[in-house]
Amino acid sequence: MASMQKRLQRELKSIQTEPPPGVSINQNSVGSSLTQWIVDMEGASGTLYEGEKFQLQFKFSSKYPFDSPEVTFIGPNIPIHPHVYSNGHICLSILTEDWSPALSVQSVCLSIVSMLSSCTEKKRPPDNSLYVKTCSKNPKKTKWWYHDEKV
Amino acid sequence: MFDLSLSLIEGNLFLKYNHHHCCLDYHRFTITMPNTEPEEATRENRESNDGSFECNICLDTAKDAVVSMCGHLFCWPCLYQWLETKPQRQVCPVCKALISRDKVTPIYGRGSSRRDPRDTLPPRPPGQRTEPEPHPSTSFPGFGFGDGGFHMSFGIGAFPFGYFSSTIFNFSDNRPAPSPSNPDYLEDALLSKMFFFVAMILLFYLLVA
Ligand SMILES: [Zn+2]
Ligand SMILES: [Zn+2]
Repeated sequence: MASMQKRLQRELKSIQTEPPPGVSINQNSVGSSLTQWIVDMEGASGTLYEGEKFQLQFKFSSKYPFDSPEVTFIGPNIPIHPHVYSNGHICLSILTEDWSPALSVQSVCLSIVSMLSSCTEKKRPPDNSLYVKTCSKNPKKTKWWYHDEKV
Repeated sequence: MFDLSLSLIEGNLFLKYNHHHCCLDYHRFTITMPNTEPEEATRENRESNDGSFECNICLDTAKDAVVSMCGHLFCWPCLYQWLETKPQRQVCPVCKALISRDKVTPIYGRGSSRRDPRDTLPPRPPGQRTEPEPHPSTSFPGFGFGDGGFHMSFGIGAFPFGYFSSTIFNFSDNRPAPSPSNPDYLEDALLSKMFFFVAMILLFYLLVA
């Protein structure tokens, strides 16, 4: 547990001092145990999400960074994107099977920003309604089949 | 979409890839191929303040440091835990090269304290200096042709030509001469041929175009 908190402390510091563009930590969301963060995210200008605001929730288990964080969009505005389900779950391989402990909150945020930025058509995943009805609350329990990564 | 480019410039292998949406730029990770003498490498253990001696896992200054064949630095306890987490798929957390307990080298700085090794972790593996350089077929999984969703692009620079010369002619320098019956040797020979063939095609293309 201690090493997990030490690492999160470092990440928090670095993300506060040099936040990636369009990303900021919601200070009030970070409790003393650091196990849950909320990140405010803005759609990059020049993309389909320009001017939109989103919230990402990160949950860290005691095995972080060996275990990936649980990352979901929360709040009133869930981006409409072919890899984002309407319940906020994100189909992104680095959040499950391609997770590596060298990744961080910062790199996950950057990946998500770039995933949004490269989108050419705002639409939900084709299996959205079925998935949202049947999935577990924790997206990490989903056995994701990664869509063709052309989007 | 998986984009990978490799280039070999003056003994440095530059690896860059974009994995899925993740636009992390791996370009900054330079892997020095063991063309340099190993003695030099150990003696060159100067104190540099690049801030680059942080473990890639805990982000702290690496303790009981080990370096992978692909050049990435970790605390041994951190790396050990990662290898235990995914025993069936042991890859470098940074670049996804294949990695294993036997293929990491401990780093001993001057005056590094003899840490009490009585933790539950196994001691760091012993130093080894005659290992052959990582071979593309083993250190870059997925560096394949026509392999599902992978797309490979050649980087600028000396690749592929510089690469061939080192693959084809430097067997004796970099690796204990493999016997022809050794599968590694066959694989090497096959790869060399493949690369050579690609080089010829490129050359031909350049001449014609
Ligand atoms: Zn470490
Ligand atoms: Zn590596």
